[in-house]
Amino acid sequence: MLKMQHLSKVYRTHMVETHALRDFSIHVREGEFVAVTGPSGSGKTTFLNIAGLLEEFSSGEFWLDGVDVRGLNDDARSKLRNEKIGFIFQGFNLIPDLNLFDNVDVPLRYRGYGAAERKKRIEESLSRVGLSSRMKHYPSELSGGQQQRVAIARALAGSPRLLMADEPTGNLDSLMARGVMELLEEINRAGTTIIMVTHDPELAARAQRNVHVMDGQVTDFDAEPALRVKARDTDVEAAVA
Amino acid sequence: MEIRPIISALMRSKVAMILIGLQVALTLAIVCNSLFIINQRFEHMRRPSGMNEADTFWFGSTGFGQGYDARATQLADLQLLRQLPGVVAAAPAWSVPMSGGGWSTGLNLQPKQKTSTADTALYIVDDHAVDAFGTHLIAGRNFKPEEVVNATFGDSLHPAAIIVTKALADKVFPGGDALGKQVYLDDDPPTSTIVGIVDRLQQPWTNSKTIEYTTLVPAHMPFGNFTRYIVRTEPGRRDEVMKLVEQKLAESNPSRIIGKMRTIEQTRNDAYSNDRAMMIILGTVIFLLLTITALGVVGMASFWVTQRTKQIGTRRALGATRFDILRYFLTENFLITTAGLVVGGVLAYALSLWLLTHVADAKLLPWYYVPVGFVSLWLLGQIAVLGPATRASRVPPAVATRSV
Repeated sequence: MLKMQHLSKVYRTHMVETHALRDFSIHVREGEFVAVTGPSGSGKTTFLNIAGLLEEFSSGEFWLDGVDVRGLNDDARSKLRNEKIGFIFQGFNLIPDLNLFDNVDVPLRYRGYGAAERKKRIEESLSRVGLSSRMKHYPSELSGGQQQRVAIARALAGSPRLLMADEPTGNLDSLMARGVMELLEEINRAGTTIIMVTHDPELAARAQRNVHVMDGQVTDFDAEPALRVKARDTDVEAAVA
Repeated sequence: MEIRPIISALMRSKVAMILIGLQVALTLAIVCNSLFIINQRFEHMRRPSGMNEADTFWFGSTGFGQGYDARATQLADLQLLRQLPGVVAAAPAWSVPMSGGGWSTGLNLQPKQKTSTADTALYIVDDHAVDAFGTHLIAGRNFKPEEVVNATFGDSLHPAAIIVTKALADKVFPGGDALGKQVYLDDDPPTSTIVGIVDRLQQPWTNSKTIEYTTLVPAHMPFGNFTRYIVRTEPGRRDEVMKLVEQKLAESNPSRIIGKMRTIEQTRNDAYSNDRAMMIILGTVIFLLLTITALGVVGMASFWVTQRTKQIGTRRALGATRFDILRYFLTENFLITTAGLVVGGVLAYALSLWLLTHVADAKLLPWYYVPVGFVSLWLLGQIAVLGPATRASRVPPAVATRSV
């Protein structure tokens, strides 16, 4: 699903050069639930931004669902992002002036679906997160946990193959966090690949696999699930090695 | 197109939208009416006087001292003027078009008419006047020298022959058969015969409602020691001839003062100075209004882009292209402007109706001003929002994951 090899990201100003990622290699298979952990400033968010096509990388190789991302222009990256990836942000990032229906509708409009198709998908995804009765409500009328559920519904509405979650429970209390995690696990069980960036070890422990990032490099990782070993390809082995 | 969600979002933050919409509405109402008034003034100013304005000038001569013979001086002056090189024609003329001062009377078809058939300006001239004004006879003939009578100021004028403008002829004789007809220049007989019709010669008063109704009366009639002349020169020689005339007339009779020589172009300039001032003021108002409206749109859009940076980043992260973001802000502006313009269209006609009932000579705003104003303000709004919208489209999607 996602493969990065020897990837680096350097931020340059006229005074300073910061290596946010260096020689970064990772392979996430389809259907996996991977937690990326690491302290603040370790490069987790940079990895998430690059993996989510929100940011370009400086060098290395990156394939997303078989597509070589290098050299894609901004429009192509937007299209790929819209089709393949669903985002869940720490701060939910719902649009406050739109009701839940319209919030979930945002990525679907950019996909170019017709009105009937969009309505069906919105209703299905809001129903999946248990908020179908509140479609006309605005984000400010919901609790934090509910807002994150709306964000998950928005991410799922376009049937993405990869869900990128950036500290999805970071702004929630433990009860709500548990609910959101259960929902993510359920989504993963249904076949969607999830990459979750978190610094919470408890949450990370619930993922199938943990990748630890430090100083812009993968410093530790769990073995891949036994059931999936057969599916491992040689590129990944090389990358991990 | 995201029209419905944009409208929904706008309805959640109405104040800014209403303020900008109102600004657009007022701008449309004021700009449409101001442009209409400017156009009216422009049309008012560009009406042809019927004269050869480029090559003609006029001036007065005031005699002084005992024994000054105004009538003899006038005849001598005219003889001298007509012999000067570059002069095409010269005539006595109490007044000229656009000069602002002159005589008028009622022109009647019956003696003792209670209401005149038409009000007309009187130009007291001689048989050279048609040439001197540079107007054109379109029917009949010019005055004969013997028809030019000697008159004294204050006399009641009953000329045997008169020349009228076509507009006046058509007004008095709508059947188009004015030539040779008898009319009364005063309440009493005798009548005057229309011997000629000129295509056009305006009255001296630019705001007159009967500005095209003019009558030429053949008479030598100095006003005391004062006489006025009109001189037409060969094309391009006006300024040169003006100097020569001043010099020769001063030499010919030192017992008089030659007044300031004025070209017809200067006369037109002075006559329409108020119209021009009005046009400049209204033009300035339009410019300022459009500038303020454009700045308002830029300010609002810039504020919204700054306020929504995270939201824009989120939209980009969710798959919006740069063009999608640009289009979002252009559409949003288009919708606000359209709402303002609909209100503004109603206001424009309301203002026009108010002017119609409160301002003399006001006319109802023609229908096409509002659609033209619509399109212009739409364009202005779109151009104004283009900068902030472009800035919005450059917000990177990575902003979505930033916590500050």
